[in-house]
Amino acid sequence: MRVPLSWLRDYVDVQLEPDRLAECLTILGMEVQRVERWGSDWQGVVVGELLAVEKHPRADRLSLTRVRVDDGEPLEIVCGATNIAPGQRVPVALPGAVLPGGRSIERTEKLGFVSNGMLCSGDELHLTGDAEGILILPPETPLGARLTDLYGDWVLDVDVKPNRGDALCLLGVAREVSAATGAQVRLPDTVVDERGVPVADRLAVEIEDTHLCPRFVGRWVSGVRVGPSPDSVQARLLAAGLRPVSNVVDATNYVMLELGKPIHAFDAATVARDAGGRARIVVRPARTGERLETLDHAERELGPETLLIADRSGPLAIAGVMGGAASEVSEATTEVIIESAIFDPVSIRRTAFRYALRSEASLRFEKGQEARLARVGADRVSRLVSAWSGGTVAPGRVDSAPDEPQPGRVAFRPARIRRLLGTDLDAAEQRALLARVGVETEPAAAATPVPVAAQPRPLAVPAAAGEALIAVVPTWRRDLVIEADVAEEIARVAGYDTLPTKTPDTAMPPWRPDPLELRDALRSVLVGAGLTEVVTPALVAPGHAEFAWPVGAADGIAGEERTAGRPIRVTNPLSENRSVLRPGLVASLLDVLAWNERHGRNDVAIFELGKGYAAAPDGTAGEWWRLGFLLAGDVGAATWNQPARPYDTADARGLVELVARIAGLTPPDWTPHRDGSPLHPGRAALASARGAGGTPSLAGLVGELHPDVAAAWDLRASRVLAGELAIARLSGGGRAPTHARPLSRHPAVERDLAVVVAEAVPAGPVAATIRTAAGERLADLRLFDVYRGSPLGPGEKSLAWRLVFESPDGPLAEADIEAAMARVGAALLTGHGGRVRI
Amino acid sequence: MDRETLTAQLRAFRDEALRELAAARGEDALEALDVHYLGRRGGVLSGLMRGIGALPAEDRPAVGAVVNEIRSEVEGALAAARAAARADALAVRLDHEGEDMTAPGRPIARGVPHPIVETVARIAEVFGQFGFVTYEGPEVESDITNFQMLNIPPDHPARDLWDTLYVDLDGGLLRTHTSPGQIRVMHAEQPPIRALLPGRCFRYEAVDASHASEFFQVEGLMVDEGTSMADLRGQLDEFGHAMFGRGRATRFRPGYYPFTEPSVAFDIGCVMCDGSGCPACSRTGWMTILGAGMVHPVVLQYGGIDPERYQGFAFGMGVERIAMLRHGIGDLRLFLENDLRFLEQFR
Repeated sequence: MRVPLSWLRDYVDVQLEPDRLAECLTILGMEVQRVERWGSDWQGVVVGELLAVEKHPRADRLSLTRVRVDDGEPLEIVCGATNIAPGQRVPVALPGAVLPGGRSIERTEKLGFVSNGMLCSGDELHLTGDAEGILILPPETPLGARLTDLYGDWVLDVDVKPNRGDALCLLGVAREVSAATGAQVRLPDTVVDERGVPVADRLAVEIEDTHLCPRFVGRWVSGVRVGPSPDSVQARLLAAGLRPVSNVVDATNYVMLELGKPIHAFDAATVARDAGGRARIVVRPARTGERLETLDHAERELGPETLLIADRSGPLAIAGVMGGAASEVSEATTEVIIESAIFDPVSIRRTAFRYALRSEASLRFEKGQEARLARVGADRVSRLVSAWSGGTVAPGRVDSAPDEPQPGRVAFRPARIRRLLGTDLDAAEQRALLARVGVETEPAAAATPVPVAAQPRPLAVPAAAGEALIAVVPTWRRDLVIEADVAEEIARVAGYDTLPTKTPDTAMPPWRPDPLELRDALRSVLVGAGLTEVVTPALVAPGHAEFAWPVGAADGIAGEERTAGRPIRVTNPLSENRSVLRPGLVASLLDVLAWNERHGRNDVAIFELGKGYAAAPDGTAGEWWRLGFLLAGDVGAATWNQPARPYDTADARGLVELVARIAGLTPPDWTPHRDGSPLHPGRAALASARGAGGTPSLAGLVGELHPDVAAAWDLRASRVLAGELAIARLSGGGRAPTHARPLSRHPAVERDLAVVVAEAVPAGPVAATIRTAAGERLADLRLFDVYRGSPLGPGEKSLAWRLVFESPDGPLAEADIEAAMARVGAALLTGHGGRVRI
Repeated sequence: MDRETLTAQLRAFRDEALRELAAARGEDALEALDVHYLGRRGGVLSGLMRGIGALPAEDRPAVGAVVNEIRSEVEGALAAARAAARADALAVRLDHEGEDMTAPGRPIARGVPHPIVETVARIAEVFGQFGFVTYEGPEVESDITNFQMLNIPPDHPARDLWDTLYVDLDGGLLRTHTSPGQIRVMHAEQPPIRALLPGRCFRYEAVDASHASEFFQVEGLMVDEGTSMADLRGQLDEFGHAMFGRGRATRFRPGYYPFTEPSVAFDIGCVMCDGSGCPACSRTGWMTILGAGMVHPVVLQYGGIDPERYQGFAFGMGVERIAMLRHGIGDLRLFLENDLRFLEQFR
């Protein structure tokens, strides 16, 4: 809310500098987000006196003026306004001045006459709303004075929190200033000079649902002359951020800003009369099919959820949200009905959302208003309308619920507040602090219920004798309901900065596993292995969500299962590109590759630890963790002593082997995956690895992107390797410790073996055969060469393996190793048609 | 052959051997001289020694002593020559092996961790020192868990604080904050509770330099019988100092959240101007880094905890905000764009 300081001073004395005041309010919980110098864009605008006004010989609509701004030569200025006359004091923008909106004023020639500046309208200065004529300043305005010194102001932009609707007005902010400085609050004058026919004979109000409209106060002003408000009023409204409209409408807006009470004025002539000749207003829900043209000239469909101000012939206004065009106060209006009502906050909020009409008024209604304000606001507006438009206020009010609620009473225990805040403020100090915000206190009787929690889970605890006090809460403070509310009030008036500071010394919680443990371990290892971590949006385009990345046996990894189901869609997406929760990570990684390629970066090695999402058939949401990675371009750039090497599928498999090691699993087994899209049918495989006890603990699909998919993503890279892995404990952490084996005291024995197989025979099954045949003393197996060519036949290849045998319990007998090698040879022959090269 | 002749021959042998050794170049030449002079079978010294047997018995010890003396003298000279030759050879080799030690090293491939995840890890590390345990909650929540159990009933004006993305599941929405995790932890654990809840959050928010529709938060929760606002203040001070330097000013002031009472906004001295006032801090000298407060009694009740016996504090912070202030990042969009030119600045 914008708070012009000069206006605030109507209600409370402010001695503090604006910045200091802003800090005080912020410390008190009324956060001042900005302190603005209002009128700082009137630089170069000074007060001048018109010496002469003559017709321009060549343009009927222009005048030639001479203006005195100081003791020097008068300035000749060409002006297009008609409301000027010699002797008037007016704002003069001198050459070089820059007006609001960035309009700069220069010496110009207009039809043969030089204009040395410009006379300004109120609108051009954003000082009043009048764009018709030049702003005529009071005759006593000092000549030559800078306008910014005369009318400039400080405006505080206060962020009033949703629970403090009472402070969404100048009077409310003044109360906070009072709490901070001790200065007395001055209330606006609400005394009304009433004359003529009583309102009861002119206006009748009928409330259909008192829950939706607990109070309606109506007043009547006769004989108004609608026109502009006084310049000072317009200046205040503009500084506070509202456009001046007319003296009647401005009075309602003025009171809304002053007291926080939204009020509506109707042209009484447009309201249908009842049999007794009275204007008769009904507050009722709209009927299906009813329509209303609102003030913004939009035709609105109404329905039973919308509360209306209506008359016999139909809707007049949407209650609390926006008036109707037909009953709007206009220049022809002479009789005005003032509506100052209380509406159900929820109903107003819903209606404002339904019509996308959240206004200054509806915002205040939504936060709830004290019933008393309906009366005070009606009186205040009537007084101002009468003062600014010359009307007469009819005696009395039409009031649907004249009984006003008593102040609330909230019991609290000073000792409990000390425990909550960690302070040693005693009861007397607490009472003194509350008194500064108008909260009086009195002793509570024994067994008075102390409200610990309120709706929707209320809890009250009976106070022991002498333990509690009653806080008597001013009617406008609807936010003080439970003991903790009182605690906050005490703390904020004392100043949060006065609270003690200590590190917690209460009991520590028991140990719990860190859910991030495995993810953190993988992160640091993968980063060390040259991959950069990325974090990509979980919301993706529908096409991305359909990007299939079958992860094979992933659903068999206990605790890491993917939810089988449809994608989860956002029903109110910001854009179609961010409308579906992704089922996996690889498509997002392709986006990252595409982005980086577009920015000239082709070597990309990245990984992400993120979630996949899906809706299960029972309507619940499933979320699961995955590791995704992508390699494209070269492994590092070429340097003076080593050439660049493109990433290939072996790099991808090596990464999975590394991941399995970090996760404490067996080396992964590979099964070729020939399904084609999204992967190259000859360069894709499913990985699986087991954990302790042979439990499936890693599963995923790894391979080279199918060229068609790469093209669909508009990728430049000739080869893109990608993979997505499900890993046991990725979601839950808690890695089992490594179980160390004793070292053998006997030397290991190495044997090399070359086996010739058909080209189509993959290495993985051959390795599995060797492992099985060699027996448990085989400690390591490594493929160190693959050879094709003479003397091998066409379609043959030789796989060279190094076998390392170890025995923990005794020296290896040569005969045992020979026997093992013989078993391996036989198994390779029967299993793969392989022959051992000698 | 008599004693004198043999002795003279031995001396001549010595003189010649020493001369040859001194003149020899390289280990191979020395090896040849070794064989020539000292070789056990055909060496010159062996040949001379055979003359000893022809001497009278009384002369043999004296000549034997001369032989030993000469042998050790020649052997010593040989060893010294060899050592010198080795040293020369090594010096030559090392001289040839010189490399350009100013050329760049062979790059060791290393990626970088993402600044958001690293910042979460750093936050968890700081609070871990104070006994906070990490938990995680789901990202798809419901109106009940994301709002109602946090004391934000339907149609509450405070709902304006969270523009929400809804999903096509009954009552489902994408969590707007990590705060629903408070309730989950309270159901899973008994006080004393010290919990940290990092995670991804979503809002209906147009993306620009300072707004994101996806972002990360870290929630904290401490509950016990005596956990007070003074504890909160102290805990947040420690955090501010850990993340932004021990000399960093902090400010503890009223805020507003429906799920805390009293509520707190926590500021640090502006990291750009150190508090003197600049555009980055709207000339206030302060930057708000998190919201906090004492857990609202209604929220404790929803968590199954007696609000009369127990009390506690909660806080929530935007990870991006912390990372931006720590690393001087001006645009929130950089985090999810994953431009490697941005990411590779981190370490």
